[in-house]
Amino acid sequence: MLDVRNLTFSYRPEDRPWSFGFKVAAGECIAINGPSGSGKSTLLSLLAGFLEPATGQILWNGTLLNPLPPWERPMTSVFQEYNLFEHLNVETNVGLGIHPGMKLTPFQKRAVTDGLIKVGLKGLEKRMPAELSGGQRQRVALLRAILRDKPVLLLDEPLTGLDTDTRDTLRAMLLELKASGTTIVLASHDEEDRQVLADHQWSL
Amino acid sequence: MNNLPHTHHSQPGWQRWPGILLALAITVLAVSGVGALLWQAPAIEVSELWASAYLRNVLVFTVWQAVLSVTFSLLLALPVARALDRYRVFIGRTLLLRLMELSLVIPTIVAVSGVVAIYGRQGWLTTTLGEWVPFLKWNLYGINGIVLTHVFFNAPLAARILLQAFENAPVAQRRIASQLALGRLWLWRAVEWPAIRPVLPGIVALIFTLCFTSFAIVMTLGGGPRATTLEVAIYQALRFEFDFGRAALLAVVQLLICGALWWLALRKGISPTLAPDRALTQNDRRKNSSRVSLLTNTSLLVAFTIFLLLPLIAVFFRGFPGLADAFLQPSNGVSGSGLCSATIRSFIIAVPAGFLAVVTSLLILFASNPRISSTVSRLCETSAYVPLVVPPLVLGTGLFLLLRPRLGVPSEGLVLVSLINSLMALPFVLQLLRGAFKNTAPATLQQADQLGILGWHRWRWIYWPRMRRPLALGMAYGIGLSLGDFGVIALFGSPGSPTLPVLLYQQLGSYQMQAAAATGLWLILLLLFVFGIFSLLGRRSPTVEKQTLHSRRILEPTHA
Repeated sequence: MLDVRNLTFSYRPEDRPWSFGFKVAAGECIAINGPSGSGKSTLLSLLAGFLEPATGQILWNGTLLNPLPPWERPMTSVFQEYNLFEHLNVETNVGLGIHPGMKLTPFQKRAVTDGLIKVGLKGLEKRMPAELSGGQRQRVALLRAILRDKPVLLLDEPLTGLDTDTRDTLRAMLLELKASGTTIVLASHDEEDRQVLADHQWSL
Repeated sequence: MNNLPHTHHSQPGWQRWPGILLALAITVLAVSGVGALLWQAPAIEVSELWASAYLRNVLVFTVWQAVLSVTFSLLLALPVARALDRYRVFIGRTLLLRLMELSLVIPTIVAVSGVVAIYGRQGWLTTTLGEWVPFLKWNLYGINGIVLTHVFFNAPLAARILLQAFENAPVAQRRIASQLALGRLWLWRAVEWPAIRPVLPGIVALIFTLCFTSFAIVMTLGGGPRATTLEVAIYQALRFEFDFGRAALLAVVQLLICGALWWLALRKGISPTLAPDRALTQNDRRKNSSRVSLLTNTSLLVAFTIFLLLPLIAVFFRGFPGLADAFLQPSNGVSGSGLCSATIRSFIIAVPAGFLAVVTSLLILFASNPRISSTVSRLCETSAYVPLVVPPLVLGTGLFLLLRPRLGVPSEGLVLVSLINSLMALPFVLQLLRGAFKNTAPATLQQADQLGILGWHRWRWIYWPRMRRPLALGMAYGIGLSLGDFGVIALFGSPGSPTLPVLLYQQLGSYQMQAAAATGLWLILLLLFVFGIFSLLGRRSPTVEKQTLHSRRILEPTHA
């Protein structure tokens, strides 16, 4: 259970702070609704630990996450763009999600190769991100998130701007992930995304 | 809890302390150098500055030649950069760009010998012109030669930086401009001027400082009270007149003038991109050039190339026979002229200096994380630019006083020279590394944070792949600058054991012109060798890495 209690944040002290509060059970998906500029991305950054809230608590299964740095939180983020390290090839981009120093066991290496086949990127291990299309990049990002295997997935407009086929593939992957017990927090403008993926909605 | 991002944790303090300490050490060095001179001085007569005709002349000349050099350099660099920006695809463009980079590392003393061979009294161009226009009186020695050589060095530097600024102008702006068929004036106002405006103050400050503190060029082409810069006057005051007070006074004046200029240039927090980035955009041919501008731009670029090439060609042609002699007849050649021992001595000084400059730059970059403290960050980076304005002599004096009790070894002088050389290379090396280090996108760092890529892994996977080339280039620049150094070694070296530039100076002084030309050529060849090696090192690794990864993958089945 991800429990967000009275989380407040503002970029400048003189602004009226945003305030967030909701709960999601494990293995469920909550969609965050709201127009652009309403703080969806900020909320996801707060959860991931990229930003620090002024007040409030983030609890995962009863444990307070606030004091933990991003790398110790049980979360993986996938944004609309810039998910990949542009200077590293596909294989390394995925592998770094499994071990932060690329020390992979043969089994894990096999998982990367198999994963790429599964998302339809067979044989593209050595490609650089710049050589991939937007949809392919997003598949790599999602594959990394899946193989990283953290209980909470934070999605910030992950399917926006992609073609229909890619969207379908990625949605199927996300549903499978959810079915296997991953909790998802989804910020998306897209009504269809929310219909397909979300179990609950929460409006800002 | 404060409101700052969590990313703080991702850089533990121990990574920052070495850099902060080094930055502090450099500052202490500069302060103690000036302080020591002031301390040693019996009495400083500030009024001497305007009372003494000599000092007044020196000051006026220093400023005047620097102003002229900056003006001419920019007047040449601006159209060249525009032309290079306009024509992005032509044969020899890359070569011309490399040639322009070379000017950063050609030893001043070698360039001067080349310039003399072309524009000197017996020079090719002078004699040719003398036949065509006999009434033209041209004397290289004095302000003419000094400004000419300064332009030779700084116009390409400025052009490279300006070109980079032009190329960084948004592509969309360019396209719209060409779609609207903007005239030359409006293209300038709408696209080009906004692109270069942020870098211009930095360029002016840099070139002014380089010319203002010019030493080797003024030593060789100037001289006498009518053509002396402050830096040379400080040297003379210390080395020949033992007038510490005057040296300190002049050093403080130099510091104040250059410091004020930098403060003015950087006051708005504009960071100057002082070293040209090598990653050049290779865009398509642009379609907005008329035939007339094609002609003028082509002739401009050809003239500029000839201007840069002539002195180098002179060095090559005059040096080749002597160098061949030196190697074919070892008895009176290499060993006889001391070329071999000078080469070894030069490398003993230059390699540690280059290495030290790179390591110091890296540590300072690690220390200057503006997200933690903008004050510390700014202080750290400013300290790296101190060597630009504080004369090496003053730094050396500070170092000498600090290290004196510890260093009893005979090679003390060489260690000192190596240390100061690394300091002198610091601003340039830091600038090379800075871009690659700081341009790491915030999104990338966030991702790295989330994936827990920290410490050594962070360096290995986030920074190293992006910085391998700048690091290699930084080593090459550091070694190159120190190999060609004449200023520091002139102060602390002994004439009996010369480095290559000192040997060259001695040969020029004793009119061994052929030997001097040979030494000059040898020095350039060594520089090319150093740059070749390091650009190879910077480039080769990715394929090696790819291969090892690949072979590991092939071997995998045996493991599994």
